[in-house]
Amino acid sequence: MRINRRAVAAAAVIAVVLPLSACGGSEAGSADASGKVEGEITFQTWNLQANFKDYFNGLIADFEKQHPGTDVKWVDRPAEGYADKISADAAGGTLPDVVNVSPDLVAPLAKAGLALDLDKAAPQYKKEYLLGAWDAHRVPGAEGTYAFPWYLNTGPLFYNKRLLRDAGLDPEKPPTTYGEVFDAGLKMARQSKGKVAALANVPTIEDFGRYGVPLMNEEGTAFSFNDPKGVELLTRYKELYDAKALDPQALTATPESSGHKFLTESVAMNPGSALDLANFKKQAPSLYENIGITDQITSTGKANMYVMGVMVNAQSKRKPAAVAFAHFVTDATRQMEFAKKVAIFPSTAGSLDDPYFTEEDGTDETRVRVAAAKSLKTAVNYTPVLFSEQMKTELRNAVARALQGKQSPAEALDNAVRACDRLLRQS
Amino acid sequence: MSVINVTDADGKRIPATQLVLRYVLLLAVLALTVGPFLWQLSTSLKGPHEDIFGSPPKFLPGEPTLDNYTRVAQTIPVWDYALNSLKVATANVVTNCVGAALAGYALARMRYRGRRAATLAFILAMLVPVEGIMIAQFTTMRDLGLNNTLLGVLLPGSIGAMNVLLMRNAFLNLPDEVEEAAYVDGANVWQRFLRIALPSVKGTLAVVAIFAFMGAWDDFLWPLIVLSDPENFTLTIGLNYLHGTFANDERLVAAGTIIAVLPLIVLFACLQRFFFRGVGEGAVKG
Amino acid sequence: MKTPTATGTITSGPAPAEPLVPGPGRRPAGRRTPRGIRRHLPYSPWLFAAPGLLVVGAFSLYPFLSTLVNAFTDRRTLVPGEFVGLANFRELLDDEMFWIGLRNSSLYVLGVVPALVILPLLLAMLVQRHIPGITFFRSAFYTPVVASIVVVGLIWVWMLDDRGLVNSVLEAVGVGRVGFLSDQWLLLLSAMGVTVWKGLGYYMIIYLAALANVPRELHEAAAVDGAGPMRRFFTVTVPAVRSTMVLVGALSSVAAFKVFSEVYLMAGPSGGPAGEDTTLVMLVQRVGTGLSGRVGYASAISVVVFVVTVALMLLVLRADRKEDA
Repeated sequence: MRINRRAVAAAAVIAVVLPLSACGGSEAGSADASGKVEGEITFQTWNLQANFKDYFNGLIADFEKQHPGTDVKWVDRPAEGYADKISADAAGGTLPDVVNVSPDLVAPLAKAGLALDLDKAAPQYKKEYLLGAWDAHRVPGAEGTYAFPWYLNTGPLFYNKRLLRDAGLDPEKPPTTYGEVFDAGLKMARQSKGKVAALANVPTIEDFGRYGVPLMNEEGTAFSFNDPKGVELLTRYKELYDAKALDPQALTATPESSGHKFLTESVAMNPGSALDLANFKKQAPSLYENIGITDQITSTGKANMYVMGVMVNAQSKRKPAAVAFAHFVTDATRQMEFAKKVAIFPSTAGSLDDPYFTEEDGTDETRVRVAAAKSLKTAVNYTPVLFSEQMKTELRNAVARALQGKQSPAEALDNAVRACDRLLRQS
Repeated sequence: MSVINVTDADGKRIPATQLVLRYVLLLAVLALTVGPFLWQLSTSLKGPHEDIFGSPPKFLPGEPTLDNYTRVAQTIPVWDYALNSLKVATANVVTNCVGAALAGYALARMRYRGRRAATLAFILAMLVPVEGIMIAQFTTMRDLGLNNTLLGVLLPGSIGAMNVLLMRNAFLNLPDEVEEAAYVDGANVWQRFLRIALPSVKGTLAVVAIFAFMGAWDDFLWPLIVLSDPENFTLTIGLNYLHGTFANDERLVAAGTIIAVLPLIVLFACLQRFFFRGVGEGAVKG
Repeated sequence: MKTPTATGTITSGPAPAEPLVPGPGRRPAGRRTPRGIRRHLPYSPWLFAAPGLLVVGAFSLYPFLSTLVNAFTDRRTLVPGEFVGLANFRELLDDEMFWIGLRNSSLYVLGVVPALVILPLLLAMLVQRHIPGITFFRSAFYTPVVASIVVVGLIWVWMLDDRGLVNSVLEAVGVGRVGFLSDQWLLLLSAMGVTVWKGLGYYMIIYLAALANVPRELHEAAAVDGAGPMRRFFTVTVPAVRSTMVLVGALSSVAAFKVFSEVYLMAGPSGGPAGEDTTLVMLVQRVGTGLSGRVGYASAISVVVFVVTVALMLLVLRADRKEDA
C-alpha cells in the first residue's frame, strides 16, 4: 500500500544541485550523545497523526515532564512521498532530530553519515529489544546499528473459503507450504476454467526468502537469489501463471490492487496482517463471512516480519535529548500502549509474553494476534536492508519476463542479480 | 411551429432537430466525463455497513449518509488545510494574472532589443522537465529561508511560463491602431496597458486564472517537500492522511476527493462565461 | 468603439496569430500582425517582463542548469559525485530500458496529439451555442481537468479492471473480457485514453476562447454560398482557429512526451509487465529518486527529454510555417 501511495502525485525528485553543504557530513556526525538532555527537538513520524494524535501528544507530554527543559515538536508526514521528503531534507541538511524510518531508508542515510550509530552512542539500550529487531537496522558492510527498533508487523495468510469449496478443496484444510499453495492454485484454475486465481502477486524478494533462497552473500556485497532454489520457485510460479492460477493482472499489480482483488473475491488467497480483518469486516462484509485464516506460507519455518525504526539524526544539535526521546518512544511501556491501540507488535524483549499476546478469547482478532505474536519470536525481516526500490523493480521485471516466457527463469534471475549487484556497487 | 423555441446568444432560433442532436451529444459526453466522478460521489455517501467491493457494483448508496464527510473533518483539520490551499491558490491567481499579463504585454506589444531572447527564455522554461529540478528548487528555498512557508510553496509557480506565452499570444491579436490612437491622446505605456490592452484580453486572463488556481490547488509533491510543519499543510497533502498507514477507508478517501474537486468546479462555473463570446469583451467593443 | 480590423473584432482569446517564436518573414495571409509600437521608455519592457523573467529564471532555468551539470557526473542523492564526461550518455545507449522509454514516450505523442488537437475543437463547438442548461454541461465537461490525476488514475484502474465496469459491459454484449491492464500495448493505449479524456476540457477552453473570435459573418456568408456544416467547418472554422490548433499541438505534444502520471498509475511503478510500458520521465523518476537515486544518470535522461521536447516544438512550428508559405 505504501509503495503505491507514495507514487501518486508523483513527479519525481532528483537531487540536482551542485555539491551541497550538508553532504558527506561525517565530520559533524560524531557518535557522542552524552550530555544533558535538554533543548528543542523535532520528531517526525510516518502517517500516524490522523489516528493516533492523542497517543503521541500524551507521550510527548510525559517525556517533557520527565525531562524538564526539553521541548519536542512533532511533525507527521503523509504516507505518500515520505522517501522523497527525507531525500530532500537529507540533501538539504534539514533532516529532523528524530525520524521514523524503515530499514531500507536507514541504509543510505547511515552510509552518508546522517544516521547516528547507536552501538556507539547508546549501547546500554540494546538489551531492551528483541535481538532480531535490534539487528534489523544494521547495514551490511558497515559497523553499527542505526535506528531503535519500533513496531513490528507480520500476518497470516487470508483465504476465501467459498472459492476453495467451489474448487473442490477442503476449506478447513488450507495449504500450508508453497508446494500445497501451488497444487491448490492449479486445481482451482482448472475447476473454474481460469476464472479464479489463487494468488494476485508475483513473487517478491520476501517470497524468495521464505522459500529458503539465500538472498545475499555473507558480506553483503553481492546478491544470490539466482541460486537453484530461486530458479525452482520462479519455475513453479510460471506454471501457475500459464494455468491462469496467478491473476492475469499480477504482472502489474501493486499491494493495494491485489488487496482489492481479494476484496472483490477474484483471488482466493492474500497475505495480510492482523489489521486487515477489521478492514474486511467494514469494506466487504460478504467476503468476511467466508474468510479463512492460516499461517503465513513459509518453507523455512520462519515468518517474514516488517520492522519500523526510529533513527537519530547524526547531525542533530541536541543529540542527548534526541537519543533519550527516540528510546522513550520505543521503550517497552510506550510500545505496549501503542500495540493496544492498533494491531501492531512491540519489538521490546518480553513484551510478546504479555497475556495480551498469548491468551485467546475466541474471537478472530485475538486468534490472529496470538498466532502472529508467536511467529514473531522467530520471524525474520527477509528483505535485505540494501535492497533499494530500484532493485525491487529490477527483480519484478525479471520475474515478469520469466513468467511471460521471454526468458527462462534462470536467465531472468541471472540478469536481475547482475543488475542489482551493479546498483549495489553504485550506491 | 416547434414547441421548443430556443435562441442562441445572437437571438437566432436553433432548429429543433439540431437542438435534439446537440442534447444527445451533450448527454453522451456528459456520461463519459462525469460518470466516473458520480461513482466516487456514490461511494462517499455509502453507509458503514455497505459492501463497496461487491460484484456487480452497486451505483446507488443503499443507506445514504453524510457521515463520511463529518469523519473527514474529524480525522484531519480539513478547514485549516483548505484555508492554506485557498491562500496559496488565490495568491497564485493574482501573481500569475499580473505577472503573465505584464510579461506577455512586453513580449507582444513593445519593440526593443532582446525581445526574442526574452521570449526564448519563457519557452525554454516551459520545456524544463520539472521532475528533474525539485531538489534544486528545495535548496534554493532553504537558502532563501523560505522552506516550510506558504510563500515557498507559491514562488516557483507564481508566474508560469506557459501563462506568459498565452498572454503574449492574446496581446498579439490586438490591432496596433487602438493603441496608436490612445498614444495620440496622450496615454503613456502603463495607461495603454491598463486601459486598452488588458480589458481586451479578459477571456485569456480567465483562462490563466483558472489554470493558476487549479495548478496550486492540485499540486502535491512540491508543497509536500517544501513544507515541514503540519499547520502549514495544504489540502492535497492533508487529504493524503486519509490513506491510513494501517487501513484504508475507501469511503473517507472518496469523500476527500469530492471535497478537493468541488471548489474547482464551482470556480469554473463562475468563470466560464468569460470564455464565451459576447460577454467579456462587450464593454470594450461598446 | 467597434474596431473594424481584418480579424473582425478585438480578440480576447489565447488564439495565437503568431508562432511562439517570432520568426522572420511570417505573414499569415489576411491577417494584420501588430509588430508592437515603440512608444515607451527604453527600460519599460524590462520592467514589465522583470517579475516573470525573475521567477522562471530562478526556479526553472537556473535549477535546470544544475541538471545539465549533473548529467556529466556520477552524482547520487547523498553523494556529491565526480565528473565522468559522457559516461552517462554512453550508458544510455546500452540501456534497454532507455530505448523502451524513448519508444513509449514517442508513441504517446503519436497517439495522443491528433486526438487532442481535434476532439476538443469539436467539443468546443458543441458547447459554444447558448442553449438552456449549457452552463451545466460546460462545467461538467471540465471536471476531468480539475480532478487530481491520482483520483482519475484510481477511478480508471477500477473501471478497466478485469472485473471492472467496462469489462462487465463488454462481457454482457458478447465481446468478452479484455485485458486492458495486463497487456503491454492495451495498457499504453488505456493510459493514452485517460490522457485524452482528461485533456479534453483543458484544450476545450483554449479553443472556446479562439472560437469566440471567429466572426459570425463568415459563417453566414458561407451558408449563403450554400456550404453545408461540413464544408463550413473546413472552410471557415478550421482556418480561423488554425493558429490555435498549432498551439494546442505544440503544448500537447510536449506534455505527451513528458507523460508520467497516467502510465505510472495504470501500469504501476515498475511500468507494466516487465517494465515494457516505462516512459522516459518514469525512468527519470525510477533511477533518480529515493535516497540511493542515481542523480547523475537521471539528469542525463532529463537532458534527453528536454532536447527532444525542444525539437518537437520546433517541428510543430516549422510545419505551421510551411503550410503558411
